[in-house]
Amino acid sequence: MSSEPPTITLSIDGRTVNVPKGTTIYNAARRLEIEIPIFCYHDRMPPLGACRMCLVQVERAPKLQTSCTLEAAEGMVVRTATPEVIAGQEAILEYLLINHPLDCPICDKGGECPLQDQTYRWGPGRSRYTEVKRDFAKPVSLGPVLMLDRERCILCWRCVRFGEIVAGDDALKGFERGFESSINTPFTLPVASKFIGNTIAICPVGALTSRSYRFLSRPWDNRSAASVCTLCGVGCAVWLDARGEHLTRLRPREERAVNDVWLCDLGYFGHGYVHHEDRLRQPLIRRDGRLQPATWDAALDLVASRLRSAGPRVGLLAGARLTNEDAYVAGRFFRTAVGTPHLDHRADARSGSISLDVAWGMRTPIAAIDRSDVILLAGCDVTEEYPVLWLRIKQAVDQGAAVVALTPKALEVDRHLAHHLVHRYGEGAAVVRALIDALDGRARDGDRGGVAHGRLMLAAKTLGAARRPLVLVGTLALDAPDGRDLYRMLGTLCERWQVEPSVMRGRGNAFGAALAGLLPDRGPGGRPLPEVTDALASTWGAPLAPGAGRTSPEMIDAAARGELEVLYVVGADPATDVPDARAWQAARSRVPFVVVQGAFLTATAAAADVVLPTLVLPERDGTVSNIEGRVQRLRPIVAGPGDARGDAVIFSALAGRLGKTIAYSSWEEIHDEMRTMIPDLAIDAVLPLAAPRPSDNAPAGDLSSAAPGDGSLLLIPGSALFDQGSMSARSEAIAGLAGAPWALLHPEDAGRLGVGEGDTLVLTSTHGSIALRAVVRPALLPGQVFVPRGFDAAPVNALVDATGPASRVRVELLAAVAGAAGGTGSGA
Amino acid sequence: MAVLSEGAKTEIRRLVAQFPHRQSALLGALFVAQGEAGYLRPDVVAEVAEALDLPPSEVTSVASFYHLFHFEPVGREVIQVCTNISCLLRGCHRVLRGFSEYLQIDVGQTTTDGAYTLRTAECLAACDEAPVIMVGTERYGPVTADGVDDVLARHARKQGRR
Amino acid sequence: MPEPFLLKYVKEPDQAEYEAYVARGGYEGLRNALAMPPDQVTDAVDRSGLRGRGGAGFPTGRKWKFLPKDPAVTKYLVVNADEGEPGTFKDRTLIEGDPHRLIEGIVIGSYAIAARHAFIYLRREFHTARVILERAIAQAYAHGVLGEHVLGSGYALDVVVATGAGAYIAGEETALLESLEGRRAMPRLKPPFYPAVKGLYMEPTALNNVETLCHVAWILARGAEWYKAQGSPILISVSGHVRAPGVYEVPLGTTIRSVITLAGGVTEGRTFKACFPGGSSSAILSAAYLDTPMDYDLVKLDVYGSMLGSAALIVMDDSTCMVEIVARTVEFYRDESCGKCTPCREGTVWLGQVYDRILHGRGEAADIELLRGIARGMTGTCFCPLGESVPPAITSSLRFFAHEYEHHITTGACDVGVHPAG
Repeated sequence: MSSEPPTITLSIDGRTVNVPKGTTIYNAARRLEIEIPIFCYHDRMPPLGACRMCLVQVERAPKLQTSCTLEAAEGMVVRTATPEVIAGQEAILEYLLINHPLDCPICDKGGECPLQDQTYRWGPGRSRYTEVKRDFAKPVSLGPVLMLDRERCILCWRCVRFGEIVAGDDALKGFERGFESSINTPFTLPVASKFIGNTIAICPVGALTSRSYRFLSRPWDNRSAASVCTLCGVGCAVWLDARGEHLTRLRPREERAVNDVWLCDLGYFGHGYVHHEDRLRQPLIRRDGRLQPATWDAALDLVASRLRSAGPRVGLLAGARLTNEDAYVAGRFFRTAVGTPHLDHRADARSGSISLDVAWGMRTPIAAIDRSDVILLAGCDVTEEYPVLWLRIKQAVDQGAAVVALTPKALEVDRHLAHHLVHRYGEGAAVVRALIDALDGRARDGDRGGVAHGRLMLAAKTLGAARRPLVLVGTLALDAPDGRDLYRMLGTLCERWQVEPSVMRGRGNAFGAALAGLLPDRGPGGRPLPEVTDALASTWGAPLAPGAGRTSPEMIDAAARGELEVLYVVGADPATDVPDARAWQAARSRVPFVVVQGAFLTATAAAADVVLPTLVLPERDGTVSNIEGRVQRLRPIVAGPGDARGDAVIFSALAGRLGKTIAYSSWEEIHDEMRTMIPDLAIDAVLPLAAPRPSDNAPAGDLSSAAPGDGSLLLIPGSALFDQGSMSARSEAIAGLAGAPWALLHPEDAGRLGVGEGDTLVLTSTHGSIALRAVVRPALLPGQVFVPRGFDAAPVNALVDATGPASRVRVELLAAVAGAAGGTGSGA
Repeated sequence: MAVLSEGAKTEIRRLVAQFPHRQSALLGALFVAQGEAGYLRPDVVAEVAEALDLPPSEVTSVASFYHLFHFEPVGREVIQVCTNISCLLRGCHRVLRGFSEYLQIDVGQTTTDGAYTLRTAECLAACDEAPVIMVGTERYGPVTADGVDDVLARHARKQGRR
Repeated sequence: MPEPFLLKYVKEPDQAEYEAYVARGGYEGLRNALAMPPDQVTDAVDRSGLRGRGGAGFPTGRKWKFLPKDPAVTKYLVVNADEGEPGTFKDRTLIEGDPHRLIEGIVIGSYAIAARHAFIYLRREFHTARVILERAIAQAYAHGVLGEHVLGSGYALDVVVATGAGAYIAGEETALLESLEGRRAMPRLKPPFYPAVKGLYMEPTALNNVETLCHVAWILARGAEWYKAQGSPILISVSGHVRAPGVYEVPLGTTIRSVITLAGGVTEGRTFKACFPGGSSSAILSAAYLDTPMDYDLVKLDVYGSMLGSAALIVMDDSTCMVEIVARTVEFYRDESCGKCTPCREGTVWLGQVYDRILHGRGEAADIELLRGIARGMTGTCFCPLGESVPPAITSSLRFFAHEYEHHITTGACDVGVHPAG
């Protein structure tokens, strides 16, 4: 029904082109494949006109015009290579080069440098500059990942505008003015951003470079594979670059439906683990109380013998590190060859949590963010969990969308939110109930959950005006003490809006694990098991294990009670992932046999009976699924170390020893078989899973609202993008960004406890204690302490008591900071 | 721990109320903060940023653009000697040398007692009184090379009368 | 010569007092304006032929007509009181000497364009002017000239004084708006950010110079016809090597020679050598141009970059080393460049380095052509008028005083005087 935008015709270098009204001359020229040199313009940001490189001659205009800013007009006659234009281009390049150092031989940008390329093609060939070039101390370190070279900077302002416009984090700014201008962070402090890798990518010179890529390779020495990042769950398209057998870096690959042209810093810099020396290279078998190297045959024989005798008393704790095909094969292996119905990929879910009753993932495509006018972030700490989605949300905000956040901890992007309802942990449901009452005209006075009445009313007003709302529900809501109620309340809100809430839960390829059927009650495609049992048995040529499968928490409890013989862990680390470490310890101490299949000696693996070394996802071929259910192709860039193997290969070998044939010649064959069960399966297909209705008869968490008055603080376990887990701790850049494990307190509580920023604290609960670095901010309500998961050396699950709705901790000062507390990460 | 006084914060709030958009009060707020703290230390910048709900990086970036904001300590009075064309034509460099010799400091430096910082300035829009200087917020001209002590004494008397 | 009116009362010690101002006929213009519909006010200004006195010389009435008429659209009047063009001091003189005139012009202009708020962007260095102006504004509020009912009418206006913080570029209209919005004073792209279309806070804005608004007050007080009959006076700031530097009110078209005579003539015992007729952004004119009229047609002179600009006549006598003056001019633009665009930011540095060598006896034969080349590269390629203001002094001084450059280069010394001057 909407008409095409009007078009206009203009001529460039004698060739005519028809473009939509509003197109700049520069972009019109691109359509004709006429190259115009340019630096400051980046097509994801409005034009600036600062560098003056893109000058063209426009008939009847007295001066040369910057083609990136000038809109094409009907009948315009443009020339891109007149003597005047050429003189202008040479002049601008000569100016840019007068203070640019001759660093090319040692500059990481060489070979992919727009300044090099444009000087070669459009430059004067010889500079008349004979004065003394300025020099600055270089490089300047701006934190663990970014290096700044002031001499190389041509002040194109791209990095500054990226921070202001795209990321909204104002990480890099211009300081001083004129020729004293310099791009920097304030006071040259480490840069505070989750997206700074993008500024390195868009810098047209080598002024901003990556510490982890420094001097590693030249672009022509790199091989590239088009793949997908698998760290957080957004599934950004990437290029994996390798020099020889060494993965050198990741770059974003354009995928307009997911990450556009961006990538977060976890994606950019979180690959160090791939080549870490800690990679497991051969199987380990526990003998004489110690894990000792063994052959594959010995290890597989042992595992098979234990599985054979255990039958249905086996539990599979899968994680987020399997490809879709490997997860499918795992499902087949355990259901038919081992004969157990106990499969679950959700080891990090709380027992009784609504997380176990709902399908994880978005119910709308990521691109729907762009079209939303109101976005409700309920317990979704988006920049810590799915950072690139924030870039899309920021775009929506710039187009007028209102973001309403409902969280127990303030979000980093607070400044861009229309309303931020920071509530007491465990009382989010009451806040949503109050919002719904307000929308229904039943508003009652008073604060709710620590949120002031006035704020509630303003937020309700915005929600009431929503025409295209989007609801993103995250773990801070789902796994909260009142998570069930909160989810139910949000469901009511969504019903009014006739939308479905998106469950923002799951990292890596958790979505592929669900798609492949690694769930106790579902088969491939997320279909209820009873519906697909016969078809699966037919395809797999063997009956499936009967009976109801146990969820992860149920498996762990069962193991602790002696009801399981084997716990098989693949691509997961339950020792640190499960909400309550004691539950895992009880399981480990009681269950006779634990197999861990993974890439590192995690805490779980270190206590296992057999450890089987696997490949990691940059070494794999196949597909993975992202948070919107998009199936994307993985391509390997390097081979794995030592004798590490793919997961499906291991299951096939074990199946053979169990007398069953599970043999596929390629991932494609597995994928094709999956398609027989999931007809819509295809690369780039978007397959969100159907959300089951939450069951009503699960225990509801009821947090007593009164604090015990003993000075203890309510514990809020949360997420941090930069943590120190088995992979992140082994990526030097990420470990640097994460810093030492930390806990976030309100200044009131800090004052009462005599604690200052950076001090070392001891947090003690009924279950254990850990030492953490204090971060003091008014980012949560007093009486609470926020501790991020993911720091394996000081895991929050050592404190959590999952038998109750919430945990409380005593906080004591261990040592005041005496200088740097270590690391640059500060979380909040 | 608060760095700015309640009075300063009240003044900043008054400035904010004058404009439809908070950031417009930034330059005025920075002068209030600088007036109290002497110069813009990181903690001072952070308080101004918080008062205006702006990222500290933006506040620092904006402040650094303008010559009248100082990120290092300056003397109690900043002496600015105009060296633009009209003052140059009327001998401003003799005056600059005069101040330098009298105060025993180079341009850009501060006297050891912290009383004066000597700087050059661009056109102060008083070219009919060239050579022109400012001491703090007061303008003086024409100034002569052998009259520098006199103008400083005059200024001190003026300040004393306040 | 017609009777001056712009400067008539500027030296009266009580002119800044509301009562004295009114006693001398002040705020009559405002009364007249309020008695007519707003667009008639604009018509009157248009008919008067008043051209902006900030330097661009754009007809004021026509500028106001660019703004949308719809009263529902938020509009602003912004006063450019950031007088920073070297050699210019007429605006400060008016603010300190006749602040109520400026206020009157502001109210009239705001009424004409239906603005509810007006902002004065004043140079921070103008401390005395700010004190005087804020006091006059307080008096204006007290007497109902500002506020909810201007002079008892239905028109409401609030005026706020905001200051800069030491940046010449903030005198450029779009950079001024950036600074007024609390940001770095970096000029905006035009189109689309023409102030009349997307100005302050992206709303249509009339941006006027101080002197221009003082003219407006007089036009509405005495009428457009009366104003035209006065020969459209202009305030010229005269400084440098003259015996009586100061602000002089003359009809447009008065020759440079006549203005110098008004200012007491060149320094005793010296002869005229050269001048900047319109501040340092205008081309330097030699003695051959002494009989050139000072009006907007200066831009048509056969010297590249010649213009009336801010009407700041800087006179240089024969004791002046032209190379030093141009070097100082280049340094000024280098230090005031905002840094946004390549040619201005880098070109001024390079020029400064070459001039430095020449002045310190290290000039080379190729330098003169090099200076021309650098200047050429900055001509027509810069983002805003600041960068474009650099080449005129260079090309004009090379044209008229090439021998001075050559002498510095070949001998390493100056044959005019010592550096730095004085």
